[in-house]
Amino acid sequence: MTTTALSDPVLEELVEILGADHVFTGRSARFNRARVPAPFPVHRWPEHVPDVVVLPTSAEQVAEVVKLANRYRLPVVPRAGATGLTDGAVPLRHGILVDVKLMNRILEVDLEDRTVTVQPGINMLKLNEELRQHGVMYPDDPASYPCSLVGGRIGTSGWSLIGGRYGHARDLVISFQIVLPTGEILEVGDGGGRKIRKSSTGFQLKHLFMGHQGTLGIVTEATLELVPRPEAEFSAFFSYPDYETAWRSTAALARSGLATLAGVVLFDEWKVRYLRRDDEAYIPQPPEVKAVVATALYGTSDEVRPAARRLLRIGLASGGEYLGDEISQGDWASRHDRYATPLHGRLAGGQVVPMSWHCEDAAVNWSKLPRVREEWHAIVERLSDRHPIFDDWGMFAYTNGAYKPWGDYLTEIDVGIWEQELDDESWAAWVQAKRDIAEVTVRHGGSISACHGACRAGEVDLVPLELGGQFDVMKKIKRALDPLNVMNPGKYLLDQAYEEETS
Amino acid sequence: MIGFRLAAQRPPDPQRINETVVMRLEHVFEVDPALMTEHVRQQDMPVWDTQRIVADRWEHLAWMHDHWADTVVSGEELLEESGPA
Repeated sequence: MTTTALSDPVLEELVEILGADHVFTGRSARFNRARVPAPFPVHRWPEHVPDVVVLPTSAEQVAEVVKLANRYRLPVVPRAGATGLTDGAVPLRHGILVDVKLMNRILEVDLEDRTVTVQPGINMLKLNEELRQHGVMYPDDPASYPCSLVGGRIGTSGWSLIGGRYGHARDLVISFQIVLPTGEILEVGDGGGRKIRKSSTGFQLKHLFMGHQGTLGIVTEATLELVPRPEAEFSAFFSYPDYETAWRSTAALARSGLATLAGVVLFDEWKVRYLRRDDEAYIPQPPEVKAVVATALYGTSDEVRPAARRLLRIGLASGGEYLGDEISQGDWASRHDRYATPLHGRLAGGQVVPMSWHCEDAAVNWSKLPRVREEWHAIVERLSDRHPIFDDWGMFAYTNGAYKPWGDYLTEIDVGIWEQELDDESWAAWVQAKRDIAEVTVRHGGSISACHGACRAGEVDLVPLELGGQFDVMKKIKRALDPLNVMNPGKYLLDQAYEEETS
Repeated sequence: MIGFRLAAQRPPDPQRINETVVMRLEHVFEVDPALMTEHVRQQDMPVWDTQRIVADRWEHLAWMHDHWADTVVSGEELLEESGPA
């Protein structure tokens, strides 16, 4: 059944560009592409449904769709795996949704210069299954590793669980091809060479076209880093009697200088309490376990074994107790796939209810972690006292620097939300809580997002405060590259660029 | 014919682990059924099906280790080699 609001000439032109099999106007195709796992006002679902969904197979098709959108002044929203925890892939003004999932081919594996070139719809797990035969891998490892796609990782400039060793998406993506908001196809890299990692030629535009949440274009091809497949993995989980000891131990482990250290993760008391409800690894832990620190190493066997000995010594000397191989190895393996976790939460009385997972993230310096943690939990406590459909699932702090896992941390507070019970009042309270969380981050010298992006309702209001004059530059760039504001309009407060032009 | 019948292998009565968790099979924990009465109901499952899910989970974790590296180094072995801390 066709229920789209688009006119027949638009649909006819889209069919001409893509073929009838790649243009979808039915309710199922459109409603299923309205949301992502980030909290979603389900009571206002129809506000976010695209008018039409297209699945292109080439950059040229994407470019033609974008040119058509400019001709008819229609919004274009790019969508890859739709696993993002901000609203990049959520349409705010309906329009044409460009789903890149059919662009999922490996175009070239270059074992001499250590790159792989892919289309944006490929998933990292699937890519690495193909790369294994060559003894190499692409080490981008988000919590959505089995289901997120390369195009979305570029649009988000996402964080990787093992970024302390291998870098994050911005470090691992060498260059890419992007369709600009006006329909031109552009090659973007660190300089001009498609496989060059470091250049000093001209402006550095690669970062500009990463993390824009689909507001500056649609990636259609990417050249990625290849690293040797690790011979050995070592993970160690330590328990602590209190948060402060665990926090200090986190710093000692992160500052160890071990080149194979891929990441350190701090679990606070709320997180351990939450895991004790349902997680088989934490239910049997004795009550004196109040905080946990996880660590992992990857590399050659000759590197990892001695590094593991040193890591164990540091963990034990800084107050930790080794939790054993079963939890260390089992829980670490599960960290590559957090989207598979069944989700339910608790009401104040303990009754189990279905809940969606929301993760509010920030980049925060190590010295600020304890204070930020207290203030964030207080915000969520006030929220859940007023609206029991919210449930505090605790906090993690992950090492956040590429190749240098110390100094600043991806800090997240996980909140369960009983989405079916959302209404305008509770949604407004949630959005205000997100504003409050972002305000704490900025006040403590942090950044509103280390990983997801900051364009969701609530925290986006604080983006101009965090960025200052940088936000004015963002608006000028947006207006210059997207003069008709067709590319994912409404995101990141960038409509302001056009309002100022009018006034 | 595959029998998806609870009667085929009814699980033993639960043993309480803590205030909110019970256990029927070794190291397989369940939410206290008393907490799943109003909004989410527990499902009745035969033992073989629970064991299948647990085995699949371990298989998945082993697959993930193998996906990321050739070998997994044991912390317990390293600590044993080093002697008492």
